[in-house]
Amino acid sequence: MNSSTETLTINWIGLGTIVRREAMRMMRVPIQVFLAPWISALLFIFIFGFVVGGRIAPIAGHRYLEFVLPGILMMNVVNSSFLQSSSQVYFSRFLRFVEETLVAPLSYVEMIAGSLAVVVARTVVTAVGILLMGAAFGATSIHSFVEFLFWIVAISVSFGLLGIIIGLWAKNFEQLNVLTVFFIAPLSMVGGVFNTIGMLPSWLRWLALLNPFFYFSSGLRHAMIGFSESSLGLGIAVTLALSAVLALLVWRLYAVGYGLRE
Amino acid sequence: MTPALSIAHLRKVYRRATVAVDDISLTVNEGDFFGFLGPNGAGKSTTIHCVTGIANPTSGDIRVFGVDAVKNYREARRLIGLSPQEFNVDTFASPYNIIEWMGGYFGLPAPKRRSRTEMLIEKFGLTEHSRKEFRELSGGLKRRVVLCRALVHDPRLIILDEPTAGVDVELRHDLWRYLQELNAEGKTILLTSHYLEEVERLCRTVAIVARGRIVRQGTKNELVSAAGGLEQAYLGATGRPPDLIEAAQ
Repeated sequence: MNSSTETLTINWIGLGTIVRREAMRMMRVPIQVFLAPWISALLFIFIFGFVVGGRIAPIAGHRYLEFVLPGILMMNVVNSSFLQSSSQVYFSRFLRFVEETLVAPLSYVEMIAGSLAVVVARTVVTAVGILLMGAAFGATSIHSFVEFLFWIVAISVSFGLLGIIIGLWAKNFEQLNVLTVFFIAPLSMVGGVFNTIGMLPSWLRWLALLNPFFYFSSGLRHAMIGFSESSLGLGIAVTLALSAVLALLVWRLYAVGYGLRE
Repeated sequence: MTPALSIAHLRKVYRRATVAVDDISLTVNEGDFFGFLGPNGAGKSTTIHCVTGIANPTSGDIRVFGVDAVKNYREARRLIGLSPQEFNVDTFASPYNIIEWMGGYFGLPAPKRRSRTEMLIEKFGLTEHSRKEFRELSGGLKRRVVLCRALVHDPRLIILDEPTAGVDVELRHDLWRYLQELNAEGKTILLTSHYLEEVERLCRTVAIVARGRIVRQGTKNELVSAAGGLEQAYLGATGRPPDLIEAAQ
Protein backbone atom coordinates (compact mmCIF):
# COMPACT_ATOMS: atom_id res chain seq x y z
CA MET A 1 0.00 0.00 0.00
CA ASN A 2 1.29 3.43 -0.89
CA SER A 3 0.87 6.12 1.70
CA SER A 4 1.87 9.72 1.26
CA THR A 5 3.21 11.52 4.31
CA GLU A 6 4.12 14.57 2.26
CA THR A 7 1.96 17.66 2.21
CA LEU A 8 1.73 18.38 -1.48
CA THR A 9 -0.75 20.81 -2.89
CA ILE A 10 -3.50 19.53 -5.13
CA ASN A 11 -2.28 18.58 -8.60
CA TRP A 12 -4.95 20.67 -10.34
CA ILE A 13 -3.42 20.18 -13.78
CA GLY A 14 -3.37 16.41 -13.25
CA LEU A 15 -6.94 16.45 -11.98
CA GLY A 16 -8.03 18.57 -14.95
CA THR A 17 -6.27 16.18 -17.32
CA ILE A 18 -8.20 13.20 -15.94
CA VAL A 19 -11.44 15.14 -16.47
CA ARG A 20 -10.39 16.18 -19.99
CA ARG A 21 -9.38 12.64 -20.93
CA GLU A 22 -12.59 11.08 -19.64
CA ALA A 23 -14.75 13.75 -21.26
CA MET A 24 -13.05 13.05 -24.59
CA ARG A 25 -13.49 9.32 -24.14
CA MET A 26 -17.15 9.86 -23.27
CA MET A 27 -17.73 11.95 -26.39
CA ARG A 28 -16.49 9.09 -28.57
CA VAL A 29 -19.82 7.34 -27.91
CA PRO A 30 -22.45 10.12 -27.80
CA ILE A 31 -25.29 7.83 -28.91
CA GLN A 32 -24.67 5.46 -26.04
CA VAL A 33 -24.01 8.23 -23.53
CA PHE A 34 -26.77 10.74 -24.27
CA LEU A 35 -29.10 9.64 -27.05
CA ALA A 36 -29.93 6.23 -25.54
CA PRO A 37 -31.10 7.59 -22.14
CA TRP A 38 -32.98 10.44 -23.80
CA ILE A 39 -34.87 8.07 -26.13
CA SER A 40 -35.60 5.74 -23.23
CA ALA A 41 -36.85 8.66 -21.11
CA LEU A 42 -38.97 9.96 -23.98
CA LEU A 43 -40.66 6.57 -24.35
CA PHE A 44 -41.32 6.38 -20.60
CA ILE A 45 -42.72 9.92 -20.60
CA PHE A 46 -44.91 9.25 -23.62
CA ILE A 47 -46.23 5.80 -22.69
CA PHE A 48 -46.43 5.92 -18.89
CA GLY A 49 -46.86 9.61 -18.43
CA PHE A 50 -48.91 10.68 -21.40
CA VAL A 51 -50.81 7.65 -22.76
CA VAL A 52 -51.39 5.59 -19.58
CA GLY A 53 -51.11 8.55 -17.20
CA GLY A 54 -53.92 10.36 -18.97
CA ARG A 55 -56.29 7.74 -17.52
CA ILE A 56 -54.95 7.94 -13.97
CA ALA A 57 -56.43 10.32 -11.42
CA PRO A 58 -54.22 13.20 -10.21
CA ILE A 59 -51.96 12.41 -7.26
CA ALA A 60 -51.90 15.10 -4.54
CA GLY A 61 -53.22 17.54 -7.11
CA HIS A 62 -50.57 16.73 -9.72
CA ARG A 63 -51.08 15.13 -13.12
CA TYR A 64 -49.60 11.61 -13.29
CA LEU A 65 -47.07 12.78 -15.87
CA GLU A 66 -45.81 15.45 -13.44
CA PHE A 67 -45.70 12.84 -10.67
CA VAL A 68 -43.78 10.26 -12.69
CA LEU A 69 -41.26 12.60 -14.39
CA PRO A 70 -38.96 12.97 -11.32
CA GLY A 71 -38.85 9.16 -11.01
CA ILE A 72 -37.93 8.73 -14.67
CA LEU A 73 -35.28 11.38 -14.23
CA MET A 74 -33.94 9.63 -11.14
CA MET A 75 -33.68 6.26 -12.94
CA ASN A 76 -31.71 7.84 -15.77
CA VAL A 77 -29.41 9.74 -13.41
CA VAL A 78 -28.72 6.50 -11.54
CA ASN A 79 -28.03 4.54 -14.76
CA SER A 80 -25.90 7.24 -16.37
CA SER A 81 -23.71 7.78 -13.34
CA PHE A 82 -23.25 4.07 -12.67
CA LEU A 83 -22.48 3.22 -16.30
CA GLN A 84 -20.07 6.14 -16.68
CA SER A 85 -17.87 5.33 -13.71
CA SER A 86 -18.01 1.53 -13.93
CA SER A 87 -17.08 1.46 -17.62
CA GLN A 88 -14.47 4.19 -17.14
CA VAL A 89 -12.68 2.27 -14.39
CA TYR A 90 -13.15 -1.16 -15.96
CA PHE A 91 -11.84 -0.13 -19.40
CA SER A 92 -8.86 1.66 -17.90
CA ARG A 93 -8.00 -1.62 -16.16
CA PHE A 94 -8.84 -3.79 -19.17
CA LEU A 95 -6.62 -1.73 -21.51
CA ARG A 96 -4.19 -1.08 -18.63
CA PHE A 97 -3.99 2.68 -19.19
CA VAL A 98 -4.88 3.07 -15.52
CA GLU A 99 -1.13 2.55 -15.09
CA GLU A 100 -0.58 6.00 -16.62
CA THR A 101 -2.17 7.55 -13.55
CA LEU A 102 -0.58 5.07 -11.13
CA VAL A 103 2.94 6.10 -12.19
CA ALA A 104 2.07 9.81 -12.06
CA PRO A 105 2.19 12.10 -9.00
CA LEU A 106 -1.57 11.93 -8.48
CA SER A 107 -3.26 11.28 -5.15
CA TYR A 108 -6.10 8.79 -4.87
CA VAL A 109 -8.49 11.62 -4.06
CA GLU A 110 -7.52 13.37 -7.32
CA MET A 111 -8.08 10.18 -9.31
CA ILE A 112 -11.47 9.59 -7.71
CA ALA A 113 -12.54 13.25 -7.96
CA GLY A 114 -11.55 13.33 -11.64
CA SER A 115 -13.77 10.33 -12.38
CA LEU A 116 -16.69 11.73 -10.39
CA ALA A 117 -16.50 15.16 -12.05
CA VAL A 118 -17.16 13.52 -15.43
CA VAL A 119 -19.94 11.41 -13.92
CA VAL A 120 -21.69 14.53 -12.63
CA ALA A 121 -21.20 16.36 -15.95
CA ARG A 122 -22.73 13.44 -17.85
CA THR A 123 -25.75 13.18 -15.57
CA VAL A 124 -26.38 16.93 -15.58
CA VAL A 125 -26.46 16.95 -19.40
CA THR A 126 -28.70 13.86 -19.39
CA ALA A 127 -30.99 15.48 -16.81
CA VAL A 128 -31.28 18.74 -18.74
CA GLY A 129 -32.31 16.80 -21.85
CA ILE A 130 -35.01 14.92 -19.93
CA LEU A 131 -36.28 18.15 -18.36
CA LEU A 132 -36.61 19.66 -21.84
CA MET A 133 -38.60 16.60 -22.97
CA GLY A 134 -40.81 16.94 -19.93
CA ALA A 135 -41.27 20.62 -20.76
CA ALA A 136 -42.43 19.65 -24.26
CA PHE A 137 -45.24 17.69 -22.56
CA GLY A 138 -45.91 20.57 -20.16
CA ALA A 139 -44.78 18.50 -17.17
CA THR A 140 -41.50 20.11 -16.06
CA SER A 141 -41.50 22.32 -13.02
CA ILE A 142 -38.86 23.14 -10.41
CA HIS A 143 -40.17 23.71 -6.91
CA SER A 144 -36.70 24.28 -5.41
CA PHE A 145 -33.66 24.64 -7.64
CA VAL A 146 -31.21 24.13 -4.73
CA GLU A 147 -32.91 20.89 -3.74
CA PHE A 148 -32.98 19.77 -7.37
CA LEU A 149 -29.27 20.40 -7.77
CA PHE A 150 -28.54 18.62 -4.49
CA TRP A 151 -30.41 15.48 -5.56
CA ILE A 152 -28.90 15.34 -9.04
CA VAL A 153 -25.36 15.75 -7.69
CA ALA A 154 -25.86 13.50 -4.65
CA ILE A 155 -27.41 10.66 -6.67
CA SER A 156 -24.67 11.00 -9.33
CA VAL A 157 -21.91 10.88 -6.75
CA SER A 158 -23.41 7.90 -4.90
CA PHE A 159 -23.86 5.81 -8.02
CA GLY A 160 -20.62 7.08 -9.51
CA LEU A 161 -18.85 5.72 -6.43
CA LEU A 162 -20.77 2.47 -6.63
CA GLY A 163 -19.78 2.21 -10.30
CA ILE A 164 -16.11 2.67 -9.38
CA ILE A 165 -16.34 -0.20 -6.91
CA ILE A 166 -17.91 -2.48 -9.51
CA GLY A 167 -15.39 -1.29 -12.13
CA LEU A 168 -12.56 -2.27 -9.77
CA TRP A 169 -14.15 -5.60 -8.87
CA ALA A 170 -15.34 -6.83 -12.29
CA LYS A 171 -13.17 -9.43 -14.00
CA ASN A 172 -15.21 -9.46 -17.21
CA PHE A 173 -17.91 -7.52 -19.06
CA GLU A 174 -20.72 -9.66 -17.68
CA GLN A 175 -19.84 -8.81 -14.09
CA LEU A 176 -20.17 -5.11 -14.94
CA ASN A 177 -23.91 -5.66 -15.40
CA VAL A 178 -24.51 -7.67 -12.25
CA LEU A 179 -25.42 -4.69 -10.09
CA THR A 180 -27.70 -3.16 -12.72
CA VAL A 181 -29.63 -6.39 -13.26
CA PHE A 182 -29.95 -7.57 -9.66
CA PHE A 183 -29.93 -4.34 -7.68
CA ILE A 184 -30.41 -1.06 -9.53
CA ALA A 185 -33.24 -2.04 -11.88
CA PRO A 186 -35.43 -3.91 -9.34
CA LEU A 187 -34.93 -1.43 -6.49
CA SER A 188 -35.58 1.60 -8.69
CA MET A 189 -38.78 0.00 -10.01
CA VAL A 190 -40.12 -0.61 -6.50
CA GLY A 191 -38.74 2.67 -5.14
CA GLY A 192 -41.76 4.83 -5.87
CA VAL A 193 -40.91 5.79 -9.44
CA PHE A 194 -44.32 5.00 -10.90
CA ASN A 195 -46.48 4.89 -7.79
CA THR A 196 -46.88 6.28 -4.29
CA ILE A 197 -46.10 3.88 -1.47
CA GLY A 198 -49.73 4.37 -0.47
CA MET A 199 -50.62 2.35 -3.60
CA LEU A 200 -48.55 -0.62 -2.37
CA PRO A 201 -50.11 -3.37 -0.23
CA SER A 202 -49.70 -2.41 3.44
CA TRP A 203 -47.41 -5.42 4.15
CA LEU A 204 -44.97 -4.17 1.45
CA ARG A 205 -44.73 -0.53 2.52
CA TRP A 206 -42.00 -1.09 5.11
CA LEU A 207 -39.82 -2.53 2.35
CA ALA A 208 -40.09 0.71 0.40
CA LEU A 209 -38.93 2.63 3.45
CA LEU A 210 -35.75 0.52 3.52
CA ASN A 211 -35.11 1.16 -0.16
CA PRO A 212 -32.71 4.08 -0.77
CA PHE A 213 -34.24 4.61 -4.22
CA PHE A 214 -37.48 5.60 -2.49
CA TYR A 215 -35.70 8.52 -0.81
CA PHE A 216 -34.03 9.55 -4.08
CA SER A 217 -37.25 9.63 -6.10
CA SER A 218 -39.18 11.18 -3.23
CA GLY A 219 -36.55 13.90 -2.72
CA LEU A 220 -36.32 14.68 -6.41
CA ARG A 221 -40.11 14.77 -6.61
CA HIS A 222 -40.22 17.28 -3.79
CA ALA A 223 -37.59 19.41 -5.55
CA MET A 224 -39.66 19.38 -8.74
CA ILE A 225 -43.33 19.42 -7.74
CA GLY A 226 -43.22 20.01 -3.98
CA PHE A 227 -44.75 16.61 -3.14
CA SER A 228 -42.93 14.04 -1.04
CA GLU A 229 -43.90 10.86 0.76
CA SER A 230 -40.83 10.79 2.98
CA SER A 231 -39.15 13.11 5.42
CA LEU A 232 -36.86 15.40 3.43
CA GLY A 233 -34.31 15.49 6.28
CA LEU A 234 -34.23 11.70 6.53
CA GLY A 235 -33.79 11.39 2.76
CA ILE A 236 -30.89 13.84 2.74
CA ALA A 237 -29.30 12.10 5.74
CA VAL A 238 -29.62 8.65 4.11
CA THR A 239 -28.14 9.93 0.84
CA LEU A 240 -25.24 11.77 2.47
CA ALA A 241 -24.48 8.79 4.70
CA LEU A 242 -24.51 6.46 1.69
CA SER A 243 -22.19 8.78 -0.25
CA ALA A 244 -19.80 9.10 2.70
CA VAL A 245 -19.60 5.33 3.25
CA LEU A 246 -19.06 4.67 -0.46
CA ALA A 247 -16.45 7.46 -0.70
CA LEU A 248 -14.48 6.02 2.21
CA LEU A 249 -14.69 2.54 0.74
CA VAL A 250 -13.51 3.73 -2.70
CA TRP A 251 -10.64 5.72 -1.16
CA ARG A 252 -9.58 2.64 0.80
CA LEU A 253 -9.71 0.44 -2.31
CA TYR A 254 -7.50 2.92 -4.19
CA ALA A 255 -5.11 3.15 -1.25
CA VAL A 256 -4.59 -0.62 -1.11
CA GLY A 257 -4.58 -0.82 -4.91
CA TYR A 258 -7.53 -3.24 -5.12
CA GLY A 259 -8.06 -4.08 -8.79
CA LEU A 260 -5.47 -1.46 -9.73
CA ARG A 261 -2.01 -2.55 -8.67
CA GLU A 262 -0.41 -5.97 -8.82
CA MET B 1 26.12 11.57 -3.71
CA THR B 2 22.55 10.30 -3.32
CA PRO B 3 21.92 7.38 -5.68
CA ALA B 4 19.30 7.80 -8.38
CA LEU B 5 17.72 4.54 -7.27
CA SER B 6 18.43 2.40 -4.27
CA ILE B 7 16.54 -0.79 -3.58
CA ALA B 8 17.13 -2.70 -0.35
CA HIS B 9 15.79 -6.19 0.35
CA LEU B 10 12.86 -5.85 -2.02
CA ARG B 11 10.45 -8.74 -1.89
CA LYS B 12 7.26 -9.17 -3.87
CA VAL B 13 4.94 -12.08 -3.31
CA TYR B 14 1.85 -12.35 -5.47
CA ARG B 15 -1.36 -14.04 -4.51
CA ARG B 16 -1.11 -17.82 -4.31
CA ALA B 17 2.32 -17.28 -2.73
CA THR B 18 4.19 -16.82 -6.01
CA VAL B 19 7.50 -15.17 -5.12
CA ALA B 20 8.37 -12.87 -8.03
CA VAL B 21 11.12 -10.88 -6.32
CA ASP B 22 13.06 -12.37 -3.45
CA ASP B 23 15.37 -10.00 -1.56
CA ILE B 24 16.69 -7.82 -4.37
CA SER B 25 19.09 -5.03 -3.41
CA LEU B 26 20.73 -2.75 -5.93
CA THR B 27 21.99 0.79 -6.34
CA VAL B 28 21.90 2.86 -9.50
CA ASN B 29 24.14 5.88 -9.27
CA GLU B 30 23.11 9.23 -10.67
CA GLY B 31 24.14 9.54 -14.31
CA ASP B 32 24.63 5.78 -14.76
CA PHE B 33 23.36 3.72 -17.66
CA PHE B 34 22.30 0.59 -15.82
CA GLY B 35 21.46 -2.70 -17.51
CA PHE B 36 19.03 -5.01 -15.73
CA LEU B 37 19.22 -8.43 -17.34
CA GLY B 38 17.51 -11.71 -16.77
CA PRO B 39 15.40 -14.38 -18.41
CA ASN B 40 11.62 -14.06 -18.76
CA GLY B 41 9.92 -14.29 -15.38
CA ALA B 42 13.13 -13.50 -13.47
CA GLY B 43 11.57 -10.53 -11.67
CA LYS B 44 12.83 -7.57 -13.74
CA SER B 45 9.44 -6.11 -14.63
CA THR B 46 8.06 -6.79 -11.15
CA THR B 47 10.98 -4.86 -9.63
CA ILE B 48 10.29 -1.97 -12.00
CA HIS B 49 6.58 -2.12 -11.19
CA CYS B 50 7.36 -1.88 -7.47
CA VAL B 51 9.58 1.16 -8.09
CA THR B 52 7.00 2.96 -10.22
CA GLY B 53 3.80 2.17 -8.30
CA ILE B 54 2.24 -0.39 -10.62
CA ALA B 55 2.82 -3.08 -7.98
CA ASN B 56 2.76 -2.98 -4.19
CA PRO B 57 6.04 -4.23 -2.74
CA THR B 58 5.55 -6.89 -0.07
CA SER B 59 8.57 -5.64 1.88
CA GLY B 60 11.81 -3.75 1.41
CA ASP B 61 12.88 -0.19 0.86
CA ILE B 62 12.87 1.76 -2.43
CA ARG B 63 14.34 5.26 -2.72
CA VAL B 64 14.44 7.48 -5.79
CA PHE B 65 17.05 10.21 -5.37
CA GLY B 66 16.66 9.61 -1.64
CA VAL B 67 12.86 9.91 -1.69
CA ASP B 68 10.93 6.98 -0.26
CA ALA B 69 8.93 5.60 -3.20
CA VAL B 70 6.21 4.20 -0.93
CA LYS B 71 5.78 6.81 1.79
CA ASN B 72 6.38 9.84 -0.44
CA TYR B 73 5.22 8.24 -3.64
CA ARG B 74 4.03 11.44 -5.31
CA GLU B 75 7.37 13.15 -4.95
CA ALA B 76 9.22 10.00 -6.07
CA ARG B 77 7.02 9.56 -9.15
CA ARG B 78 7.82 13.07 -10.40
CA LEU B 79 11.42 11.95 -10.82
CA ILE B 80 10.74 8.82 -12.90
CA GLY B 81 9.72 8.26 -16.50
CA LEU B 82 8.63 4.72 -17.36
CA SER B 83 8.43 3.05 -20.74
CA PRO B 84 6.81 -0.29 -19.93
CA GLN B 85 7.16 -3.55 -21.75
CA GLU B 86 3.42 -3.77 -22.53
CA PHE B 87 1.47 -1.07 -24.36
CA ASN B 88 -0.63 0.23 -21.48
CA VAL B 89 -2.46 2.98 -23.36
CA ASP B 90 -5.95 3.98 -24.39
CA THR B 91 -5.73 2.41 -27.85
CA PHE B 92 -8.44 4.66 -29.27
CA ALA B 93 -6.55 7.84 -28.32
CA SER B 94 -4.08 9.59 -30.62
CA PRO B 95 -0.33 9.64 -29.93
CA TYR B 96 -0.56 13.40 -29.40
CA ASN B 97 -3.20 13.01 -26.70
CA ILE B 98 -1.45 10.07 -25.04
CA ILE B 99 1.76 12.05 -24.65
CA GLU B 100 0.10 15.36 -23.80
CA TRP B 101 -2.18 13.77 -21.18
CA MET B 102 0.84 12.25 -19.48
CA GLY B 103 2.38 15.72 -19.29
CA GLY B 104 -0.85 16.82 -17.67
CA TYR B 105 -0.82 14.05 -15.06
CA PHE B 106 2.67 15.21 -14.11
CA GLY B 107 1.36 18.76 -13.66
CA LEU B 108 3.09 20.44 -16.60
CA PRO B 109 1.41 23.73 -17.50
CA ALA B 110 -0.33 23.73 -20.91
CA PRO B 111 2.29 25.69 -22.92
CA LYS B 112 5.16 23.54 -21.61
CA ARG B 113 3.43 20.20 -22.10
CA ARG B 114 2.34 21.14 -25.62
CA SER B 115 5.83 22.24 -26.62
CA ARG B 116 7.40 19.11 -25.04
CA THR B 117 4.81 16.91 -26.78
CA GLU B 118 5.45 18.53 -30.15
CA MET B 119 9.22 18.38 -29.70
CA LEU B 120 9.14 14.66 -28.85
CA ILE B 121 6.71 13.85 -31.65
CA GLU B 122 9.05 15.50 -34.12
CA LYS B 123 12.18 13.96 -32.62
CA PHE B 124 10.74 10.44 -32.78
CA GLY B 125 9.36 10.83 -36.31
CA LEU B 126 5.72 10.66 -35.26
CA THR B 127 4.52 13.90 -36.85
CA GLU B 128 2.46 12.33 -39.63
CA HIS B 129 0.98 9.77 -37.21
CA SER B 130 0.28 12.06 -34.28
CA ARG B 131 -3.49 12.34 -34.87
CA LYS B 132 -4.15 8.71 -35.82
CA GLU B 133 -5.56 6.26 -33.30
CA PHE B 134 -2.84 4.37 -31.40
CA ARG B 135 -4.29 1.01 -32.46
CA GLU B 136 -3.72 1.93 -36.13
CA LEU B 137 0.05 2.26 -35.66
CA SER B 138 2.70 -0.36 -36.36
CA GLY B 139 4.57 -2.00 -33.46
CA GLY B 140 7.59 0.25 -33.93
CA LEU B 141 5.52 3.42 -33.96
CA LYS B 142 3.64 2.30 -30.85
CA ARG B 143 6.98 1.76 -29.11
CA ARG B 144 8.02 5.32 -30.01
CA VAL B 145 4.79 6.70 -28.54
CA VAL B 146 5.32 5.05 -25.16
CA LEU B 147 8.91 6.28 -25.15
CA CYS B 148 7.76 9.86 -25.81
CA ARG B 149 5.21 9.45 -23.03
CA ALA B 150 7.97 8.40 -20.63
CA LEU B 151 10.03 11.48 -21.48
CA VAL B 152 7.38 14.20 -21.66
CA HIS B 153 7.90 15.46 -18.11
CA ASP B 154 11.69 15.44 -18.48
CA PRO B 155 12.37 12.89 -15.70
CA ARG B 156 15.74 12.51 -13.97
CA LEU B 157 15.49 8.71 -13.88
CA ILE B 158 14.31 6.96 -17.04
CA ILE B 159 13.23 3.33 -16.74
CA LEU B 160 12.96 1.44 -20.01
CA ASP B 161 11.53 -2.06 -19.86
CA GLU B 162 12.58 -3.75 -23.10
CA PRO B 163 12.23 -0.57 -25.16
CA THR B 164 13.53 -2.08 -28.39
CA ALA B 165 11.45 -5.27 -28.35
CA GLY B 166 9.77 -5.64 -31.73
CA VAL B 167 11.27 -2.53 -33.33
CA ASP B 168 13.20 -2.46 -36.59
CA VAL B 169 16.96 -2.05 -36.79
CA GLU B 170 16.76 1.58 -37.92
CA LEU B 171 14.63 2.67 -34.96
CA ARG B 172 16.78 0.63 -32.62
CA HIS B 173 19.85 2.55 -33.72
CA ASP B 174 17.98 5.90 -33.54
CA LEU B 175 16.82 5.02 -30.08
CA TRP B 176 20.28 4.00 -28.90
CA ARG B 177 21.65 7.30 -30.15
CA TYR B 178 18.90 9.25 -28.39
CA LEU B 179 19.37 7.35 -25.13
CA GLN B 180 23.09 8.00 -25.24
CA GLU B 181 22.36 11.70 -25.75
CA LEU B 182 20.01 11.72 -22.77
CA ASN B 183 22.57 9.92 -20.64
CA ALA B 184 25.27 12.37 -21.73
CA GLU B 185 22.95 15.19 -20.59
CA GLY B 186 22.99 13.65 -17.13
CA LYS B 187 19.86 11.51 -17.13
CA THR B 188 20.09 8.24 -15.28
CA ILE B 189 18.80 5.29 -17.31
CA LEU B 190 17.78 1.84 -16.15
CA LEU B 191 17.30 -0.51 -19.07
CA THR B 192 16.03 -4.06 -19.27
CA SER B 193 16.68 -5.95 -22.45
CA HIS B 194 17.08 -9.40 -23.88
CA TYR B 195 19.58 -8.09 -26.42
CA LEU B 196 23.03 -8.49 -24.88
CA GLU B 197 24.50 -6.47 -27.75
CA GLU B 198 22.30 -3.57 -26.73
CA VAL B 199 23.37 -3.78 -23.10
CA GLU B 200 27.00 -4.11 -24.10
CA ARG B 201 26.78 -1.06 -26.32
CA LEU B 202 24.87 1.22 -23.93
CA CYS B 203 25.31 0.26 -20.29
CA ARG B 204 28.10 0.99 -17.83
CA THR B 205 26.78 -1.15 -14.98
CA VAL B 206 24.95 -4.45 -15.25
CA ALA B 207 22.94 -6.57 -12.82
CA ILE B 208 21.73 -10.03 -13.75
CA VAL B 209 18.61 -11.31 -12.04
CA ALA B 210 17.32 -14.88 -11.96
CA ARG B 211 14.48 -16.45 -9.95
CA GLY B 212 13.82 -13.16 -8.19
CA ARG B 213 17.39 -12.57 -6.97
CA ILE B 214 20.41 -10.65 -8.20
CA VAL B 215 22.88 -13.34 -9.22
CA ARG B 216 25.65 -11.18 -10.65
CA GLN B 217 26.41 -7.48 -10.60
CA GLY B 218 29.31 -5.36 -11.75
CA THR B 219 30.55 -2.96 -14.33
CA LYS B 220 29.96 -3.88 -17.93
CA ASN B 221 33.72 -3.99 -18.50
CA GLU B 222 34.15 -6.56 -15.74
CA LEU B 223 31.49 -8.82 -17.25
CA VAL B 224 32.56 -8.33 -20.84
CA SER B 225 36.23 -8.94 -20.11
CA ALA B 226 35.49 -12.24 -18.34
CA ALA B 227 36.10 -15.39 -20.37
CA GLY B 228 33.28 -15.82 -22.88
CA GLY B 229 32.16 -12.23 -22.51
CA LEU B 230 28.78 -10.95 -21.37
CA GLU B 231 26.85 -13.80 -22.95
CA GLN B 232 28.70 -16.46 -21.00
CA ALA B 233 28.51 -14.41 -17.83
CA TYR B 234 24.76 -14.13 -18.37
CA LEU B 235 24.22 -17.82 -19.11
CA GLY B 236 26.42 -18.88 -16.23
CA ALA B 237 24.72 -16.54 -13.79
CA THR B 238 21.20 -17.52 -14.78
CA GLY B 239 21.99 -21.22 -14.40
CA ARG B 240 21.65 -22.20 -18.05
CA PRO B 241 22.74 -25.72 -19.16
CA PRO B 242 26.50 -26.17 -19.69
CA ASP B 243 26.03 -26.94 -23.40
CA LEU B 244 24.55 -23.47 -23.95
CA ILE B 245 27.44 -21.91 -22.08
CA GLU B 246 29.89 -23.93 -24.15
CA ALA B 247 28.16 -22.78 -27.31
CA ALA B 248 28.54 -19.19 -26.15
CA GLN B 249 32.25 -19.76 -25.70
